[in-house]
Amino acid sequence: MIDSITLDNVLPRAFAGMENDDPVKSSEVWLKRISFSRPGFYMVEAESGAGKSSMCSFIYGSRGDYSGDILFDGRSVRQIGTDEWCRLRQRAIAYLPQELMLFPELTVIDNIEIKNRLTRHKSERWILETLAALGIEKKAAVPAGQLSVGQQQRVAIVRTLCQPFNFLLLDEPVSHLDERNNAAVASIIEAEARENHAAVIATSVGNKIKLPFTTTVCL
Amino acid sequence: MKAASALHRLLRRNISAAQLTGYALANLVGLALVAIAVQFHSDVNSVMEAEDSFTSRDYIVISRKVSGLGSLTGGRTSFSPADIADIEAQPWVRRTGSFTASGFNVAATVDVGSQGMSTALFLESIPTEFFDRVPQGWDYTPGSGKPVPVIVSKDYLTLYNFGFASSRNMPRVSESMIGMLPIRLSLSGAGRQQWVDARIAGFSSRLNTIAVPESFMEWANSTFADNGAPDPTRLIIEVNSPGNPAIEKYLDSHGYEAAGDNATSRRASYFLSVVTATVLAVGSVICILAFAILTLSIFLLLQKNSEKIRSLMMLGYTPRAVASTYFTLVGAINAAVLAGSVGLMLLASRLWRGPLADMGIGSASPSVAIAIAAAIAVGITLLNFAAITRIIRKRFPQPHKTKQTH
Repeated sequence: MIDSITLDNVLPRAFAGMENDDPVKSSEVWLKRISFSRPGFYMVEAESGAGKSSMCSFIYGSRGDYSGDILFDGRSVRQIGTDEWCRLRQRAIAYLPQELMLFPELTVIDNIEIKNRLTRHKSERWILETLAALGIEKKAAVPAGQLSVGQQQRVAIVRTLCQPFNFLLLDEPVSHLDERNNAAVASIIEAEARENHAAVIATSVGNKIKLPFTTTVCL
Repeated sequence: MKAASALHRLLRRNISAAQLTGYALANLVGLALVAIAVQFHSDVNSVMEAEDSFTSRDYIVISRKVSGLGSLTGGRTSFSPADIADIEAQPWVRRTGSFTASGFNVAATVDVGSQGMSTALFLESIPTEFFDRVPQGWDYTPGSGKPVPVIVSKDYLTLYNFGFASSRNMPRVSESMIGMLPIRLSLSGAGRQQWVDARIAGFSSRLNTIAVPESFMEWANSTFADNGAPDPTRLIIEVNSPGNPAIEKYLDSHGYEAAGDNATSRRASYFLSVVTATVLAVGSVICILAFAILTLSIFLLLQKNSEKIRSLMMLGYTPRAVASTYFTLVGAINAAVLAGSVGLMLLASRLWRGPLADMGIGSASPSVAIAIAAAIAVGITLLNFAAITRIIRKRFPQPHKTKQTH
């Protein structure tokens, strides 16, 4: 269980030496102390190249190329071992990466089951109903690689929700979705977040997911 | 179940069937060669060991060659302490022991049915530690009234049965029969005479003597011999490689000869052990090369699947869960290779087991060969497991894996 995530004086190594220039200088995240606590809906806005995906990766623990520290309930993530990271990724932090990380050779349903099998969190019925709500139920048996990017994005969202979470990291979740699908995705995510008493941290370069954001941060 | 198979399908993409088949065949050949060599060695050894249960073939008994006039003109027939020291200095000698001869008169009386037989005899003793298996009750306490255990050369029994008994219409005796015959020994010398009971403790084809326990010989020599024990005329030598040509060269150049000599058999056994060692070495080298192929193939496979492996661990899969797919793969291949090589070994051993069975010799159990092949297969498997685990753990997405700057 994680109740708060704090970024303390974090700076991506790519920005080292650029402390007095934009985007670091005007950032409300880099080289600052910022906390996300649950429940809550956080929007992290930025221009392209400001380090949104880096921030998500840093929080998710998949990258460590930064200075400063990230704390889960006050404890540095650098102290977390392999087994605990696995537990956190199954139970506490859900992450929708911008690149989606679907397996193109597996079908839509296999892509989702490969996560759900690990967490045993959702029923097959929920998965099929959610696919239907997002208009891709007919694609269930199609290899993910044959879907459009927008369809893939919806599959990846369903897969991300197949676990309990305290924090949900969404890296540009609706960048390839139309208004209608944006709204459909948002309502499912909002329901899941409320059920989990979780915080959602979503990033955007323009097309924002339609969630009831309580805080907006400029990266 | 469906997702589990999806996981396997995912991780087993890019498997090169050709590489794994190549490995399996190579390791099959290597492992089979090792198993066959080991089995051949133990079967042939069981033949050698079958000859004599008291002493192993690692022992040879030597004496000086008896030459025409030498013995009549007083040429030495015994070994001096210097001779023994020189022999002990040879690299193929593990240790030596002396035969202690009796320095008194011995006569044996046997009652066969109503017929009594009496004959003059000689006795010798060898140090107890040269027995591989000490015969039961191989000891003597003077005055205890217990019979003296005696080991008789098989040749003597053969001589009696097929030479003496058949020409004189005497009954033939088997090894077990003669063991039950009451034998009495008359010991005399130094103005004393005494009767002691004796029993046959066994027959030997390698000790061509009539052997008694050292404790008996010490007592008897001190009691009946005029001048104590004479110098040893025969030595028993434990060698580290029977059949080594250097042994024969040495014996020839010093005018010694190996008793009950079976130089041919020793040479054959030496040759066989060289052949066995060569096959074993070739098999081992093939196994090592096969292991290298497997390791390279697995490295390549993990390299090609490295994105998928990382993505799975991003989803929360543990390195262990990811590795287990590859463990199953490697384990199954190696189990099949092991089973195949054991099968080949059993098949190949039929080639020589037939002739051995015709000679009335049972072959050794295949358990040692199987155990060694299994140990190699398990070793290869575990090393591969370790390599797989290491590579996958390296790919685990974790912040302290990357260098941090402060």
